[in-house]
Amino acid sequence: MKIHTMALSLGLFAAVAAAWAAGSLRGEQGKENTANPLVGSPKAIERGRANFRIACSYCHGMDARGGLRGPNLTTGHLTHGDTDGAVFRTILRGIPGTQMPANDLSEEETWELVAYVRSLQPRTPAAPLPGSVASGEKLFFGDANCSLCHMVRGKGGRLGPDLTRVGAARPLDFLVESIREPDKHLTEGLSEPNRDFPQVYEKVTATLQDGTEFTGVAFNEDSFSIQLLDQSEQLHLLLKKDLKKLVHERKSLMPAYGPDLLDEKQLQDLIAYLSTLRGI
Amino acid sequence: MKLHLTVLVALTAAFLAAPLRAQVTSERIQHALVEPQNWMTYSGTYNGQRYSLLKQVAAGNVSHLAVQWIFQTPVPGKFEATPLVVDGVMYVTGAENHAYAVDARTGRTLWHYQRALPEKLRACCGHVNRGFAMNGDKLYMATLDAHVVALHSKTGNVVWDTEAADYTKGHSFTVAPLAVKDKIIVGVSGGEFGVRGFIDAYDTETGQRAWRFYTVAGPGEPGHESWAGDSWTRGGAPAWVTGTFDPELNLIYWPTGNPSPSNDGSERGGDNLYSNSVVALDADTGKLKWHFQFTPHDLHDWDATEVPMLLDLVIGGQTRKVLAQANRNGFFYVLDRSDGKFILGKRFARQLTWAKGLDANGRPIVLKESDPTEKGVRVCPGAIGATNFMSPSYSTQTGYFYVNAREQCDLFTVERQEYQAGRAYLGSTYYPAANEKDWGALRAIDPRTGEIKWEFKHFSAPWAGTLATAGGLVFAGDIEGNLIAFDARTGKALWHFQTGSAIYASPMTFSVDGRQYVAIAAGNALLTFALPEEPGSSSPASSPAKAPAKKNP
Repeated sequence: MKIHTMALSLGLFAAVAAAWAAGSLRGEQGKENTANPLVGSPKAIERGRANFRIACSYCHGMDARGGLRGPNLTTGHLTHGDTDGAVFRTILRGIPGTQMPANDLSEEETWELVAYVRSLQPRTPAAPLPGSVASGEKLFFGDANCSLCHMVRGKGGRLGPDLTRVGAARPLDFLVESIREPDKHLTEGLSEPNRDFPQVYEKVTATLQDGTEFTGVAFNEDSFSIQLLDQSEQLHLLLKKDLKKLVHERKSLMPAYGPDLLDEKQLQDLIAYLSTLRGI
Repeated sequence: MKLHLTVLVALTAAFLAAPLRAQVTSERIQHALVEPQNWMTYSGTYNGQRYSLLKQVAAGNVSHLAVQWIFQTPVPGKFEATPLVVDGVMYVTGAENHAYAVDARTGRTLWHYQRALPEKLRACCGHVNRGFAMNGDKLYMATLDAHVVALHSKTGNVVWDTEAADYTKGHSFTVAPLAVKDKIIVGVSGGEFGVRGFIDAYDTETGQRAWRFYTVAGPGEPGHESWAGDSWTRGGAPAWVTGTFDPELNLIYWPTGNPSPSNDGSERGGDNLYSNSVVALDADTGKLKWHFQFTPHDLHDWDATEVPMLLDLVIGGQTRKVLAQANRNGFFYVLDRSDGKFILGKRFARQLTWAKGLDANGRPIVLKESDPTEKGVRVCPGAIGATNFMSPSYSTQTGYFYVNAREQCDLFTVERQEYQAGRAYLGSTYYPAANEKDWGALRAIDPRTGEIKWEFKHFSAPWAGTLATAGGLVFAGDIEGNLIAFDARTGKALWHFQTGSAIYASPMTFSVDGRQYVAIAAGNALLTFALPEEPGSSSPASSPAKAPAKKNP
């Protein structure tokens, strides 16, 4: 009987997480500076990989490169602490204020997961990205018009996903793809602040009885109503029975930024900037 | 189980005129249709039809249906229960082992019970419960920590408390028990933890276990050969949805869940009996009379834990005693309920990619490319299935079987996993297929043919069940929180109400003092609806022609 909200109940952590967080944490305190006793052990990495696929991948993605809810874990930069001890603690205790839950794992299993996550990190510190962060930021808020629809730390538009932590959440190639071919990922279920339902950034056009048309994205929708944000950020709270037509298109409202709109250099600058966005 | 109409009418009149009766008996539940003011068992009647003869709320006036009272439970978590109502008192279980009795007319609490939860509970998918069973002056609840508890209906005091299994090994209960004669039937949960599933019967008075049927065939039992090696010891096949009962055949029909681990079949070669089956058990002894397995050697978590409905249908000019089930695997089945023989099967899911169809015996012709892989393979329906525990219903007026269907596909992966007692044992996981919006539909199926007669499309895949009434209505919920009333004949949505939270429960109906109520759990609340009362009258408007009078502002 698995249940769909179930990401939170899947896998090894089961439903005991809350009880766990409140209860004893089997002495993980003071492990902040402990090195992983299983570091580099191929057996530990393999067991960690297997458990990751069962318990973690629903949110972090099958290859740990970011998924429905959880960030990319392969960048070499872990937002909630890079030491073995910090990763151990994050896995076992979760991150309050985020969707990362506490997990019911033995110490050994947790270290195996740490070993696996470690094995995904770049062996040498990643070379700095070729682009210019400053130029990328300028493009974002200027000529490339990104901020007309996307918000970063409260600045920008609200038609597209908030990108305040996109650098932590998504791998670089995903970002490139999202810019060049936005229809490929409509960011379904990507965790958004202040939403408890999946946000789908697909194009929706509502036509009223008098022929008036609104095109935008749905803030929310059910069988009887739709809350539609049009391209000028006007919110239309509509009853479906009042509409002549309602069309969902499985494509993004965002234009595809091909080389004509954004050359390679500009793309690199923009990626360099986006990769610095790691939350507040 | 079919009463002649005139007898029915006479009996109904007699019951309605009778004074309040405290004792619910198996006999009384057998004839539950004749006292439609009460809802005495999970599905309303033993046959699982979730059909009520109440018709005050009807197609012509349902648009006036309005909330009468809301019962808020203080417990977070999904509220999946169907309440019971007997003689004006409602009995309902909530999340986290809570239970309540409330005045069914006002929603005021009479008593509140909770069996304290252990700290480290093993329960997969929410600390839920689906309701009580009732017999005599007792209510029966199966708890998350795998106890069966009898409460006195007047006080909520514990009369007996029996430990059915060890919760630390992953056993739990979420099921509403079924009271059959002098026994209380329950089925265990724990398919995610590699338990060995079972269906138990307990003596209503003493709480002593009368029989146990293991849903995973052990050594020496027929079907044992369908488990490779020692895989049967952790084979799953839980039984977490309430079954049905045919008093004439003296058979209990109970549906079973997926084999464990759900996604990895490599160590459990064979059909894995009696997982994903319906088993017909002798009500007195628990002996297996027959079984039918819907999804042999399942790799997609398709529990057959959907209510197995009992119908008497004319098929090919013959009246047949059948069992009908819309299964999580996407097929709708009709079986002969006396011997389990397959009569017909037809897909009711629009998206179904794992089988070419069913053979002459109802066995699926499986497409091997649907087996989970390391990288993941897209299969429809998804792991939640084309439907799930939410109840179907049947209207004797239309002859249609109503099911809230889900249209959603998943990416299924596989991973070898070592079994450890009390730990999740899944053999990997599944993910929503990328870039696909889930959806769903309330579907009316003609059970004589398996044909879909109409459907109402839901915006998203639903988790709410259905209720059919003699008012020509079907009620169903959606995941966006709407309770919706439909014309049972045409599927037209006649009324809806936004409850404010996703619905994970099935509606029911009852009446008090001649006024019909419809109830549904949503969020952490139980909402109850009725037609407005006419000023100066104790009974509400019931004629479609007479709209309720406007009240002064």
